[in-house]
Amino acid sequence: MEREIIISPIGGIPSSVTVPVRKAVAQNFGLPTRIVPLLQGIDFAYSPHRQQYHSTPILDRLAALLPNRGSRSLAITEMDLYIPILTHVYGEAQLKGKAAIISLYRLTDSNPPSLARESGLTTQRSLKEALHELGHTLGLKHCPDSTCLMHYCRRISDVDHKTDRFCRYCKIWLQDALEEERLSLS
Amino acid sequence: MNPDTRILVIDDEPILRESLQAWLERDNYTVEAVGSGKEGLERISQIPFDLVFLDLKLEDINGIQVLSRIKEDDPDTAVVMITAYGSVPSAVEAMKEGAEDYLLKPFEPEELSVLIEKIISHKARERENIYLRQEKQERSRFESLLGQSQVMQDIFNFIEDIAPTDSTVLISGETGTGKELAAKAVHATSHRCEGPFVAVNCGSLPEQLMESELFGYEQGAFTDAKQSKKGRLELANTGTLFLDEVGEIGPRMQIDLLRVLDEHSFTRLGGTRPIKADFRVIAASNRDLARAVREGAFREDLYYRLNVISLEMPPLRKHKEDIPLLADHFLSRFRQETNKEIDHISRQSLDLMMLYDWPGNVRELENAIERAVVVGKSKHLQPEDLPISRETEILGQGSLQEMEKAHILHVLKQNDWNISRSAKVLGIDRSTLYKKLQRYNLRQKA
Repeated sequence: MEREIIISPIGGIPSSVTVPVRKAVAQNFGLPTRIVPLLQGIDFAYSPHRQQYHSTPILDRLAALLPNRGSRSLAITEMDLYIPILTHVYGEAQLKGKAAIISLYRLTDSNPPSLARESGLTTQRSLKEALHELGHTLGLKHCPDSTCLMHYCRRISDVDHKTDRFCRYCKIWLQDALEEERLSLS
Repeated sequence: MNPDTRILVIDDEPILRESLQAWLERDNYTVEAVGSGKEGLERISQIPFDLVFLDLKLEDINGIQVLSRIKEDDPDTAVVMITAYGSVPSAVEAMKEGAEDYLLKPFEPEELSVLIEKIISHKARERENIYLRQEKQERSRFESLLGQSQVMQDIFNFIEDIAPTDSTVLISGETGTGKELAAKAVHATSHRCEGPFVAVNCGSLPEQLMESELFGYEQGAFTDAKQSKKGRLELANTGTLFLDEVGEIGPRMQIDLLRVLDEHSFTRLGGTRPIKADFRVIAASNRDLARAVREGAFREDLYYRLNVISLEMPPLRKHKEDIPLLADHFLSRFRQETNKEIDHISRQSLDLMMLYDWPGNVRELENAIERAVVVGKSKHLQPEDLPISRETEILGQGSLQEMEKAHILHVLKQNDWNISRSAKVLGIDRSTLYKKLQRYNLRQKA
């Protein structure tokens, strides 16, 4: 079965983000990658109490919209995301699953906010978080190497510190996981 | 960030416990979550956890009471209370009861990860100290591999056959069967006998400590690295590297180890210079590694790299005819160490030992004789001096499982259900004992 990764922007995500993310995803995962907005909106996940969007139900909805078993998707939103136990998240993914999401809300963190966008910092951060979350969908866990893409970032400076590459361990695990998935789908 | 770290979440709000569980799993911890204090306590009585996240307000039992029970059963289990805004005074009370810390819901991601790292690294230091103490103890024990039985004679012959080669050896066998002794025997009979025999217990160290222990480090590689230090791989140069409990090593270390075995070259942590070392590798495991490979817990390429020659150490119940010889050997050693005048083992004691199936194998026999020498009052070692249950005699005709269950129960009762003490008497480690309690559904009656 043909595998693919669908980059799914929600709302008006600029192409200055989606296009580099698509390119980086295709390069790192070696799979056909296209940009298709699968979700029309995420109001269903809004919490008036927290004034944020709960990312977990978004992932469930996204996974249900995938065209076939070989697809996985990464959604990109500008809204602030949370999971119930934490104040916020930069993104979330189904571990060994099919859906992932990242939020640009805190990735544009700069003073003034437009600075991050203009300098390309938002794009750099977005593609790192996108690869990180998609890594989770292939079963990769957080990595202690602070320069590795799979390193868990507590704050925005950690995102800037890490590189846009997987460390040698995570690279091997990623290859193993992709191969295992290929065999299970064939 | 190590799958060896086991975390339990006890919270009656499904959405909260599920989101915490999912977050911790992405952080590479092994996590379970339950919805009540009762379920939590039950789970903890079956399996040891390193850390418990415990909701202060549970529907069935008060969080503070759950905390006291956890600490009563195993003070080593770290507990972090989860609380809502407004319940801080109760959380402070929990700290007085022994909780490590508390967190207000919802947590800042940074706050949560810093707290877990702090607790885990503290536990890692404690484990390192225990490891160093155990290692010191182990060095002074088991100085010889003994046995006149055919089974053991076959082992000795096989060791002589494989010793002259440089091939990697994988020794399997139940806990306490003398896997390290067999590795030492291979080393002593090989052309590397003049070189060092360097042992690493892979099951006792967390992955990060294993890394610095094996590869060594350069000055400044991490905060505590005040000066550079050689790792065990370097120390094993010209000799033999013995990797005990190799099935316990984490996934990162499996990749590193495979590379080292292929290249015999590595770098110290924080270093860039490749170091060459010439050593033979002997690995041992009481886990079924082939099964671990099938389950995805152990790399297949590493398994085949280690399992060039395989040697299986038999359990003591398969060569019971060696019991008198081994018992005499241990008696004379402990007699010397304790200066006690016990000149022989009584016939009845030997009969009892021959009836028993020794689930902890030679190590359990050694511990039993040590205890008997210490508590013995007469010149002959008597059955009542041995920590072997009378129930064992009654169950002598039953299955091995029945006897093992009865014996474990007996030892637990003798030791007031203290897991650490009972595990020591049985000659097995705490986690193995926990697994057996779970398998036999043994628990202390309230």
